[in-house]
Amino acid sequence: MKRLTMMLLAVGVLLPVMAQDVEVVALKRLLEGVEGPAFYPVLNSSGDRLLFSTEDGALKMHDLADGVTTIVTRDYVAGHDACWGGDGKVYFVTQQTGEDRLVYRAGQCYDPATCRVNQVTDPQHGAVRAVPATRGGALMAPQRGFRSSGDIGSATWTEGSRLHVIVNGEERVFSPVDSWAGYLWASLSPDGKKVAFFAAGKGIVVIDLRGQMLAMLGKYEMPCWYNNDYLVAQNAKDDGHQFTSSQIMLLKADGTWQAELTKPVSMAMQPTCGGGKIVYTTIDGLLYEMKINIYQ
Amino acid sequence: MKKLLLHSSMMVLLAILGVNVASAQQPHVYINPGHGGYDSDDRNMVIYPFHQGDSAGSWESKSNLRKGLALKEILEKKGYKTSISRVNNTTADDLALSTIVALCNQSGADVFYSIHSNATGTSAVNNFPMVFYRGYTGSPQIANADVLAADLEPYLYASQSTVWTHNYQIWGDWSFRPEWGTQGYGVLRGNRAVANLSEGSFHDYIPEAYRLLSFYYCWMEGWNISLGADKYFGRLDQYDLGVVTGNVRDDRIKRLQENPQPFIVYGDDQLMPIHSATVRLLDLDGNEVQRCVTDTLRNGIYVFKYVQPGTYTVEVSEPSHFTQTATVTVTANASTYQNFYLKRVRDTAPVVVDYSPVWSEGDPAVKCSEQVVLAFNWDMDSTTTCGAFKLDPPVEGSFKWEDSYYRLIFTPTDAFDVNTLYTLTLDKSAEHGGGTPMDEDFTMQFYTQPRNHLKELAVFPYEGAPVHFTKPVVELRVDSLLDTYNLFNRLRVLDSEGNELAWNKRSIKYNKRGDDYGYVRIPLTRDIEVGKDYHLILDVDIADTAGIHLPAARDIVFHGVDAGADKPGMEVLEDFESVTGYNCSNNTITASSDRLFGSKSMQVTYDLEYCMDGYWTRISAPGYLESLTHQFAEGDTLGVHVWGDMSYNDLWAVLWADHEGCEKWISLGKINYHGWRYISVPVDYLPEGDFRFAGFEIRSEGAPMCKSGTIRFDNLLRKRGTGSVDELPLANMQVRVAGDYIVVSADTYVQGVELLDIQGRAIKTAGNNCLNVADVPAGVYLVRVHINGRTSTTKVRL
Repeated sequence: MKRLTMMLLAVGVLLPVMAQDVEVVALKRLLEGVEGPAFYPVLNSSGDRLLFSTEDGALKMHDLADGVTTIVTRDYVAGHDACWGGDGKVYFVTQQTGEDRLVYRAGQCYDPATCRVNQVTDPQHGAVRAVPATRGGALMAPQRGFRSSGDIGSATWTEGSRLHVIVNGEERVFSPVDSWAGYLWASLSPDGKKVAFFAAGKGIVVIDLRGQMLAMLGKYEMPCWYNNDYLVAQNAKDDGHQFTSSQIMLLKADGTWQAELTKPVSMAMQPTCGGGKIVYTTIDGLLYEMKINIYQ
Repeated sequence: MKKLLLHSSMMVLLAILGVNVASAQQPHVYINPGHGGYDSDDRNMVIYPFHQGDSAGSWESKSNLRKGLALKEILEKKGYKTSISRVNNTTADDLALSTIVALCNQSGADVFYSIHSNATGTSAVNNFPMVFYRGYTGSPQIANADVLAADLEPYLYASQSTVWTHNYQIWGDWSFRPEWGTQGYGVLRGNRAVANLSEGSFHDYIPEAYRLLSFYYCWMEGWNISLGADKYFGRLDQYDLGVVTGNVRDDRIKRLQENPQPFIVYGDDQLMPIHSATVRLLDLDGNEVQRCVTDTLRNGIYVFKYVQPGTYTVEVSEPSHFTQTATVTVTANASTYQNFYLKRVRDTAPVVVDYSPVWSEGDPAVKCSEQVVLAFNWDMDSTTTCGAFKLDPPVEGSFKWEDSYYRLIFTPTDAFDVNTLYTLTLDKSAEHGGGTPMDEDFTMQFYTQPRNHLKELAVFPYEGAPVHFTKPVVELRVDSLLDTYNLFNRLRVLDSEGNELAWNKRSIKYNKRGDDYGYVRIPLTRDIEVGKDYHLILDVDIADTAGIHLPAARDIVFHGVDAGADKPGMEVLEDFESVTGYNCSNNTITASSDRLFGSKSMQVTYDLEYCMDGYWTRISAPGYLESLTHQFAEGDTLGVHVWGDMSYNDLWAVLWADHEGCEKWISLGKINYHGWRYISVPVDYLPEGDFRFAGFEIRSEGAPMCKSGTIRFDNLLRKRGTGSVDELPLANMQVRVAGDYIVVSADTYVQGVELLDIQGRAIKTAGNNCLNVADVPAGVYLVRVHINGRTSTTKVRL
């Protein structure tokens, strides 16, 4: 424990063993000395595999169990919005600029079992986005999208100021709060009963599957479900040009409680959760894995 | 090849489907007007008449939004799809950087413009456009981001409504901000679109801050960014309308007069923008096509939007100026710039409405440094007005205009003559800016005071002065209190290569009210070098509080010496390590650590007492009348190290002879120096026998320049006489009287020559080895020669 404490102090992110209800029990650097800067980490639901993007946007997968890192694709920006499907596959988007200078994006699916990438949508102009689903994944596209199967289970995504939710094959669209600029970062709680998303200018919103608002959690970004009752999010400040602080927050989904998991000076950002773990990166691309105990 | 195949296959597919390619392939632009709200990070420039925090004033967040909304409007007219991160300017609209990036990525935009203006954040004032993309310069992280920037910048820089100070710049943000590593600008991190951050101009260039208050000006930046997008997507030929824009200014009135806070302006920004000017766009038949009015926010900007290509007349009218027109040609999807410089309507003849100095017979005389000021009812024409200005008697001087040619100031190059009646005539040929001359001549007179220059009383170092190398001090004394503002910039010490030596400004001392004379005393921060020449430069504009300046600049050469250098053949009689037994009436004698030898010197802080012959004080040596240790005889040489206070008092060594029962005084010269100096004098005109050192005297025969002061003494030396008075045998020195000159030769550099009368009073000095004595009466004199910080004195007969 002493060793852990020393390490946490060394990286400057330890919070005084935490507020009243949460304790950081473990924190370690991932991929130290073996990878360059890493961004946009995404844990799978069991927390044993991690997607991340390199500085130039290539997509890699790191197996936390055996420590092996695999290059999924070297296509630039592929790593920016990748996601894990419920089927264990990785869904992501690649892009190229046409000679007409328009950007054409294609949906891709990577199967870790075969280590193969399949292009699942044609390159097309406009927004192509990977969406995780409980039984697979989807690529939303302006012309022709892709679903991994006829029944992808539950899924949620945003489009403008609309929140899309698919439950039992039924797609519902909600706009529970006004947000001129739009919604972002929608995700289902692990039990599939709640949806958290971010409304620009308003902050994180939690609703039930009927679109009823359950809580507004504040102006944090990039929410992800830690478990059915708690979310982890980024709290970044800027001066309009660059980040001036950034930290990882733990938020109770009912909006009644929140705590800092790292200090603002940690410049920690882009959190992801899975299997009881929290992984985040820093402004200079250092990946950390954190474990916490929450005392009810 | 891969891209080509992709593009070709897409085109073929779309063609087969019969889809209109242009509309199907609508470029999508995400617009991010930077910042948001009126908060501390929203860049409020405080410009008159707005106060800090006034939302009506200049805010980068506000002008960014106006530009962004204009760009959105224009791009949509041009057939683009747009998204924008905000449409209001509130704190809630100031989205976090990660949110803006995610919104852009979610939108599927092709390109992203983050719109800003820049600031140096320093006293430097610049104005030029900059564009950034993510990555190192020349190596963008997102392909083509550098191309997007290169396509945009020429359109921003083409603006003729502003005044640019430098060419435009394009940077990768990692290169521009290397201290940020690869963090870069937040809105470019993780952005999947081809993204630029544009700093359209510098809002801390104040005229630009006023322009950014103009809706028209912000709209034009949006228009120019749209042209950059058209260029990037190859769509410049796909829009049929153009714009006409420009700036309306007065043709000669300066803009600074309107603003209480002066600020830097460049080029045409010196001219006053015209408020509320009506600008009309007329077709070839004279029909009005569009009309706009310049605002009252000190920018003079107008714009005609969405104009059909063709030839037009732009007409600008404003009641206090003559109407002006210009023919312009509008080109499709291009900007036509037309600036106007309006001539003011001046409907009466010019007259002098005020002047100075105002003087009448019987009034006190006017200072010889006085400026002549004429104020007019109109802004005047410089050429005819200066040409009509005549002073009798004539005086050389220079003209300066203030208040936008409303006020003319004449400053004499040197000074007006003393006790002189001057007559100024401004003849009626003087014209105002509109070309109308005065109806009649203007005449005024003034009489000058009897003093027109600052008189130098003393300066150290003086010409040829040997200056001890450590802690050198410069002092100038004049006959009136000096104007101390910025004074240290008007005195300079240069080494022989012209390098300026720094002053120790923290230790500067100035005259103060009540002082007998004006002075400035400044030490140098560093020691000077022994054997090197230096120049003390006194600028001519060193002036007293009345503005009376020196008659001319001075370049005074002095030399670095080591006053403590070895003196071969000299024995130390007194080292002044102890001051026990010394006394000086009511004055203070202490041992000082500021010394040349050992650990102490003798410091005397004195206040001269009045006596019959003037002012004096005596520093008596211990054992006075009893000691036999410090004996001198005729032909000996007496040397002593003195730390002078530039008191201009006379210093004497006092010798006493028991058998003569009287005192003898040996002149050690005038204390016209600061710092340590070695004084060496012959002991002569003594009767037979030994004389003992009895102390020093400080005297001033008339009113002293410094009645009080501090002086220090270190090692008193003696060399037994050889019958010669030459104390510098190594120098092989010779003193010759050659015609009108005393010429000194030696085997080393002669630093100066002084001619003393037989009482040791200085008569003439020279900073080299030649002293002109043509005007000195015949008689016996002493010649004191300065060599390497030492002196040698010899007698001559003229």
